Amino acid sequence: MIRGWTARLLGGATGLVYLFLYAPVLLLVVFSFSADRNVGRWGGFTLEWYREFGANENVQSALAISLQVAIVSTLVATVLGTLAALALERFRFRGKKVFDALLYLPIIIPDVTMAVMMLLFFTWSLDLVDTVTGFQLRKGIATVVVSHIAFNISFVSVVVRARLEGMDQTLEQAAADLYASRWQAFRHVTLPLILPGIVGGALLALTLSLDDVVITQFASGPGSTTLPVYVFGLIRRGVTPLINAVSVVMLAASVLLVVLSLIAQRSREPGRATTE
Amino acid sequence: MTVVPELTEHERAHEAAESRRGFLMALPAYLYLIVFFAIPLAIVFVYSFATRSRTGGTDLSGWNLDSYGRLGEDIVTRVVFRSFGLAMTTTIICLLLAYPFAYFVATRRPAVRGLLLVGVMIPFWTNFLVRNYAWRVLLSNDGPVSQFTEAVGLGETQILFTQVAVVIGLVYGFLPFMILPLYASLERIDPRLIEASRDLYASSWASFRKVVLPLSRPGAIAGSILVFVPSFGAYVTPAILGGDKKPLLGSYIVSQFLTARNWPFGASLSSVLIIVMLSATLVYFRAGGRNL
Amino acid sequence: MASAVELKGVTKRFGDVVAVDDVDLSIADGEFFALLGPSGCGKTTTLRMIAGLDLPSAGSLTIHGEEVGPLPPNKRPVNTVFQNYALFPHLSIEDNVAFGLKMQKVAKGEVGRRVAEAIELVQLGGMERRKPTQLSGGQQQRVALARALVNRPKVLLLDEPLAALDLKLRQGMQNELKALQREVGITFVFVTHDQEEALSMADRIGVMGDAKLLQVGRPEEIYEQPVSRFVADFIGRSNFLPGTVAAASTVTLANGASIPAPTADRAAGTVVDVSLRPERVRVEQRDAAPDDVARLDGVVRSATFLGNAMVYSLGFDWLELEARLENRPSQQRFSPGDEITVWWREDAIAVVDGGSG
Repeated sequence: MIRGWTARLLGGATGLVYLFLYAPVLLLVVFSFSADRNVGRWGGFTLEWYREFGANENVQSALAISLQVAIVSTLVATVLGTLAALALERFRFRGKKVFDALLYLPIIIPDVTMAVMMLLFFTWSLDLVDTVTGFQLRKGIATVVVSHIAFNISFVSVVVRARLEGMDQTLEQAAADLYASRWQAFRHVTLPLILPGIVGGALLALTLSLDDVVITQFASGPGSTTLPVYVFGLIRRGVTPLINAVSVVMLAASVLLVVLSLIAQRSREPGRATTE
Repeated sequence: MTVVPELTEHERAHEAAESRRGFLMALPAYLYLIVFFAIPLAIVFVYSFATRSRTGGTDLSGWNLDSYGRLGEDIVTRVVFRSFGLAMTTTIICLLLAYPFAYFVATRRPAVRGLLLVGVMIPFWTNFLVRNYAWRVLLSNDGPVSQFTEAVGLGETQILFTQVAVVIGLVYGFLPFMILPLYASLERIDPRLIEASRDLYASSWASFRKVVLPLSRPGAIAGSILVFVPSFGAYVTPAILGGDKKPLLGSYIVSQFLTARNWPFGASLSSVLIIVMLSATLVYFRAGGRNL
Repeated sequence: MASAVELKGVTKRFGDVVAVDDVDLSIADGEFFALLGPSGCGKTTTLRMIAGLDLPSAGSLTIHGEEVGPLPPNKRPVNTVFQNYALFPHLSIEDNVAFGLKMQKVAKGEVGRRVAEAIELVQLGGMERRKPTQLSGGQQQRVALARALVNRPKVLLLDEPLAALDLKLRQGMQNELKALQREVGITFVFVTHDQEEALSMADRIGVMGDAKLLQVGRPEEIYEQPVSRFVADFIGRSNFLPGTVAAASTVTLANGASIPAPTADRAAGTVVDVSLRPERVRVEQRDAAPDDVARLDGVVRSATFLGNAMVYSLGFDWLELEARLENRPSQQRFSPGDEITVWWREDAIAVVDGGSG
């Protein structure tokens, strides 16, 4: 339907967009192996900066904290988000509309305001705990995890809901007709069919958790600096080849997650009725 | 003859049981979001009416509108207009880049389409901080871009720490948000509609303008909201690529908490930002959009 | 005869909409029963209530004498073949068929034996390991049948089982389903909007319209003695001649002619329609019709050649009739403008209540 010079023009524009999308990160990868101390100059091949990455204790501990936060918040958000998606797609209940709206909010609200919300909330609530019980709690890894779960639930539920929406509901009715109890129908029919959606949602949650800077910064306290927050701080003080290497490691982690999520998506479409 | 039992009660009991089951499944997430999202949101509103004490703490006892009064100050309006202009610029550039791209992808064979889309998904999933940092490297003094422009005789480029750099970073960061909904709405257009318009004497340009463009509008609106909202409140990109001299809304809000320590004022700025964003989204949903 | 399924005063409301209105129906054990009606008439909802997928708002529903109204689908001795088959896409054919038995915790050995038997019954041997998407529409339908029958239900429910198949396949499956039902001896209740399907397959038919069960009977009864204009119109095609009952067994048509007709116990003066099937209309050249029968003089308006028949539109000054004459070598043909006389045998007509119902 589109031929000739229009197609060539569009194709050219598409090529340029790809160049725009990929050239910067690819150059970053190249420069991470450059011996020159100036981050944007090629000075011969070296693995020095990766060695420094391995040796830098601050980076290592921030990485460990990042992974802890990401894994725990993803697990909790995946369970809660999936349950929420099931409730919204398959049931009618009181307060459903309010819940639906509440679930959308964390997606719409800008990072900065969510960060402010977390800062004020933890300040207020930890104060409250202090005055009521006398326990002096401080912001730390736990508060970061709590804030990550708060935004990840929404993203997981959106992905799982999309999968549930695409699934033929008569399959669940067929299971019930074939003597499956509610639990059996879920376990043997619904769950296997929406699993790619759940995995996709979990991988998105993992990505978002490893991406976040500003919310984490506001929800964390001493000793709970994640890798992105640490790197962000480094960048603000000036670029170094070490940051190049750390960035490429984070990039590699992202790419790994993309590949996994693509594999999850590739698995068969949910049970749409197939008729010929 | 057996007595015919009245079954409406079973029906009602069944529905009540279903409703209870659904509610119980929603409950964990529901409670979580109330405690860790709705209450924090309410606290921001509460703080926005409080007073900053001399020591930089917050005095919650005397409620007033002082913080909102400060919104009219010159510095604030300048920050807001600057951020708005930057976010608009970013959105328009994204739209201009994404439209031909999405149109091209949507008109390919399905196999090719999938491959081209994966090409967009990868940057979408790539760490945001790293993507911004890549531009910091590219645009650095003596960096690759500068080396290139010098080599072709244009002299050194000095765009790092300017608003141009921020727009580049924002477009780079949010372009996939524009491409994906645009592609979704373009892909859904039945090619027979275009054929029909051609059959009815439309030139290819006219059929694009009268058929494709209106039908892809929901995607364009969804994409624009998805790009505009995070651009307007952006913090990380300006912090890495922009200068300190001309603050944007995101960094201005952050600075109220980290450096100026005027929490009530920061809270009132946040409240306004939240209300603006929610209204924009609400308007979009009211207008019948569903692509978010 | 024992009732396999019995509905008494069954009503289903969805909010303010009455989907099924006070239905009384008794389906005999071993019967092949069709619920026939246009879309939205409540036939599928009725089937779903028997299956337990919808709960009745009122009334009693028994299966082999046991009240099942409030029971969930998994506690009922019935199985369903869904309209789009609803085969589990993530399970092989074998696992699809075994699903019900596994849910009932039937012993492993028996599951294997019965599944093999069921797959054999629907002639899908060799396909056990395939996934549903790798099968044709007709094969998927057989899997759906095997998956339901393997549980030896007391009643098998089929929701538009043939609607998704193309015409040729559909005709073949009609015969197969009928044969299969005789072989397994299970009560089949199937829902369809296709009158030919219902007429050719069912032992008895229940015609539904606008949430109500209008008539239940053998296919010939439904066709020959429709109880209402709706039924006559929905099953096959029909002409309606408006008139009023003059006396027992006599109807005065709107043109003033009195004809003998089976008026049943309708009182004189009742407004009625006389239903006359197109293929029962006899057409002769003017005045060639026998004298001792009801007859009408008219003109041929149009003639349509259908291959196996000719369909004529015949004009009279007070109505139009459709006539269908088989394409036999001896059959006389007419052309538009021909002056003709139509007549019919007394037993060719039925009387239904008048008006537009």
